[in-house]
Amino acid sequence: MQSTAPMMDAPLHWAGHDEPQSFLRRYIFSTDHKIIGIQFLFMSLFFLLVGGILAGIMRWQLGYPGQPLPASGMLPETMVVDGIILPEFYNSAVTMHGTIMVFFAIMPLLVGVFANYLIPLQIGAPDMAFPKLNMLSFWTAVPAGFIMLAGFFVPGGHAAAGWTSYPPLSAIPEYSGVDLGQRLWLISLIILGFSSLMGAVNYITTVINMRAPGMSLFRMPLATWSLFITAHLVLLAIPILTGALIMLLFDQTIGTSFFRADQGGSPLLWQHLFWFFGHPEVYILILPAMGFVSEIIAAGSRKPIFGYHAMVIAIAAIGFLGWIVWGHHMFQSGMNPALGAAFMGTTMVIAVPSAIKVFNWLATMWRGDLHFHVPMLNAVAFVAMFVIGGLSGVFVASTPVDIYLHDTYFVVAHIHYVLFGGSLFALFGAITFWYPKMFGRMMSEGLGKVHFWLTMLFFNATFFPMHQVGIGGMMRRIYDPLQYEYMQPMAPTNRFITIAALLLIATQLIFAFNFIWSMFRGAKAEANPWRANSLEWVVPSPPPHGNFTEMPHVYRGPYEYSLPDEAEDYMPQNVPPGVPRPSSTPVHAG
Amino acid sequence: MDHAAALPLDSQRPEPGAGVYNMKLGMWVFLLSEVMFFTSLIGAYIILRFAHPTAFAEPGVVLNVPLTALNTFILICSSVTMVKAFAAIQQGDQRRLKQWLLATAGIGAMFLGVQAFEYYKLVGHGFVPNVANYAAEGEPLYGATFYTMTGFHGAHVAIGVLSLLFVSWRAFRGKYTAQSYGGVEIVGLYWHFVDLVWIILFTIVYLM
Amino acid sequence: MQPTAADTAAASAPDSRPHPNYLGIFGILFVLTLVEVGVAFIGLSKTLTVLALLLLALWKALLVALFYMHLRYEPRRLWMLTLMPLPLAIILVVAVLTEF
Repeated sequence: MQSTAPMMDAPLHWAGHDEPQSFLRRYIFSTDHKIIGIQFLFMSLFFLLVGGILAGIMRWQLGYPGQPLPASGMLPETMVVDGIILPEFYNSAVTMHGTIMVFFAIMPLLVGVFANYLIPLQIGAPDMAFPKLNMLSFWTAVPAGFIMLAGFFVPGGHAAAGWTSYPPLSAIPEYSGVDLGQRLWLISLIILGFSSLMGAVNYITTVINMRAPGMSLFRMPLATWSLFITAHLVLLAIPILTGALIMLLFDQTIGTSFFRADQGGSPLLWQHLFWFFGHPEVYILILPAMGFVSEIIAAGSRKPIFGYHAMVIAIAAIGFLGWIVWGHHMFQSGMNPALGAAFMGTTMVIAVPSAIKVFNWLATMWRGDLHFHVPMLNAVAFVAMFVIGGLSGVFVASTPVDIYLHDTYFVVAHIHYVLFGGSLFALFGAITFWYPKMFGRMMSEGLGKVHFWLTMLFFNATFFPMHQVGIGGMMRRIYDPLQYEYMQPMAPTNRFITIAALLLIATQLIFAFNFIWSMFRGAKAEANPWRANSLEWVVPSPPPHGNFTEMPHVYRGPYEYSLPDEAEDYMPQNVPPGVPRPSSTPVHAG
Repeated sequence: MDHAAALPLDSQRPEPGAGVYNMKLGMWVFLLSEVMFFTSLIGAYIILRFAHPTAFAEPGVVLNVPLTALNTFILICSSVTMVKAFAAIQQGDQRRLKQWLLATAGIGAMFLGVQAFEYYKLVGHGFVPNVANYAAEGEPLYGATFYTMTGFHGAHVAIGVLSLLFVSWRAFRGKYTAQSYGGVEIVGLYWHFVDLVWIILFTIVYLM
Repeated sequence: MQPTAADTAAASAPDSRPHPNYLGIFGILFVLTLVEVGVAFIGLSKTLTVLALLLLALWKALLVALFYMHLRYEPRRLWMLTLMPLPLAIILVVAVLTEF
């Protein structure tokens, strides 16, 4: 039951009871989870662009060190002199690429957008448990974003100690050359943490308490399950980061000595605190993507997800195990070897639930009625790229191997196979999949396919060779590889990677164009263009404020595709048993 | 594979969840994140202390244990007044609700006052958070950890006092009844949590 | 478990939930605090002092959580949720302590 005393919570507002609202209340300071999700979408896509440009700058330096960066005339002398990227600015670009991609692009895209947009719809609720808190969550993220961008424009430039911000480099301005920029970085992330926490509280409370009758936990779509587990990770990991950031900020501003070895503190403590947060963070960055992929693959195969319960348990297992593997980021820190061995063991184990999920996706597709539309292409690519990324992960999970590979481009390859090959492909699929629901129009299938194939090509061309140069000894965050003789033979490979990367970035313009153009010229979308089963597809595209005209009733799980003796190959969750259904238009197939 | 339910559903109530209303569940979920936040600060202290025991002083040498024990007593008193406010509105007793809420806010403010006084005295003896001006027993790390932990706890108390004043104002406007007292209950949960953190802090920081 | 109409009615009636003895708990907390201060200065070995103080603090914390925060009377699902951060906190501190 929802409440022990029925009057404690605000009454539920279903659709059709709309009071007229001003433009400001409807679209800017909205408490509607769908609008808030879309606000996060626009904000995150912007930051994805910024992060991508920074990557382009990095790759230019690595591919063509000492050669003028095209179109760099507008950049100030503190960043680029005669077209040559300064080492200080390069360090900032490396730092900010990671920071912006992790905190302001991928995390808000996966969680801020889709947790907000999907959860109430998929569980049959009119909105989140705390709509005003939800609005506050977005409007807290915005100033955090501004502060993070401001760092580029201050004297000394932006933070340059890596996205992991290890002291003493990050704590002592004389070492990094950066003072104010580093503080802004810290303050921005502290504020962003509040935004994330508010979201997590909302998502957890909503999923626990506001599911429609019949929507038991094991009838929830995997997208909701993955977002629900992810919210727990956010809830418990972000505060650890916040504490660490505050202590580092104090070291920088007040002159405390938490992390300064010369004054009794411990840089190793920062690493432990950061990675205790940092590892759950990377699962925050992959679990929702896995959830979206499950939805898309089931709908695209016209088959139930193979092993739904195992999928749920695997998500929970990854979420749980993710807390006890953090030391594998620290094998080179001089940590206690027994502790290192323990972390190696737990890290190897965490591959198991991930593998179970991969097998289940494949089994779902096996002998399915496969429709390779754009979301499906991206979802299948996720599975393949995630496997590659996972395999390189097994290498670095082994302590002796990692001692050699740590902080090389092998790790960069691993990261990007799981984050880009994994999360970002899943996001391209998810955005295309739920775009009709959000905006009432379909994205162009043709442009989507061109974008997909070019991205696949250039993505692999960019990141696969990084395994090789990493094993060859090319280290991360390096400004000029040519200064080392043993890296000079890698110059052609680095040029190749750079060209591929620049083409990869350019290809994203297709997606951007598709996204914007379709909003005005895309084919009008019906309620259920993919003929899927979860509750968001039973309401109009886009759904009204309040989502459903009345509380839905749920009779089955979300993956009842291709039931025998049924005219249709899908069966939405809210259709009562035995009720004849009107035939629907064909699925928007590829 | 899931089979369709045999009986038609006609309920207008959501699935059983946690068994408590949203605001209460939300506050508990939030408090879990606060546990982790204080874990990072207190954990850092425990770890640094274990690593550098000589940087810290024995109990009572730098810190004023009797005064802080009194402050602990004060904060526990405020928990009692808080729970009495809650019990009052459960009974529908508006007058006692307002009295006990204001009492809690007042005692909470008293705790902050004592802590501010304690800080003032400590700083006078050279016990400060930063390295440059540190002049007390032990090393600057002692000051850094002490002020960070107790400072953030104090900040939480301050937010609690402000929330109590807000809830008191709503109480005066008649917003709470015996059927609808969620705001009182959740501010109570927050307040007790702040007390609970202090119990841990007092023990670990002042007595060990 | 699905609540019946009677459950809901009973739960929303004033003062229906079990009522701990708030002042009694306060008394125990007061005494425990005094004991703590005593233990800290009585001159036991370091290990014993730390252990005793941790147990006393834990006892006080449990009293506040179970009775003032009413966890004792809340549904099981709720207090199982509240247990989540505790193993994480312990793992973090204990694991890092082995470094030093």
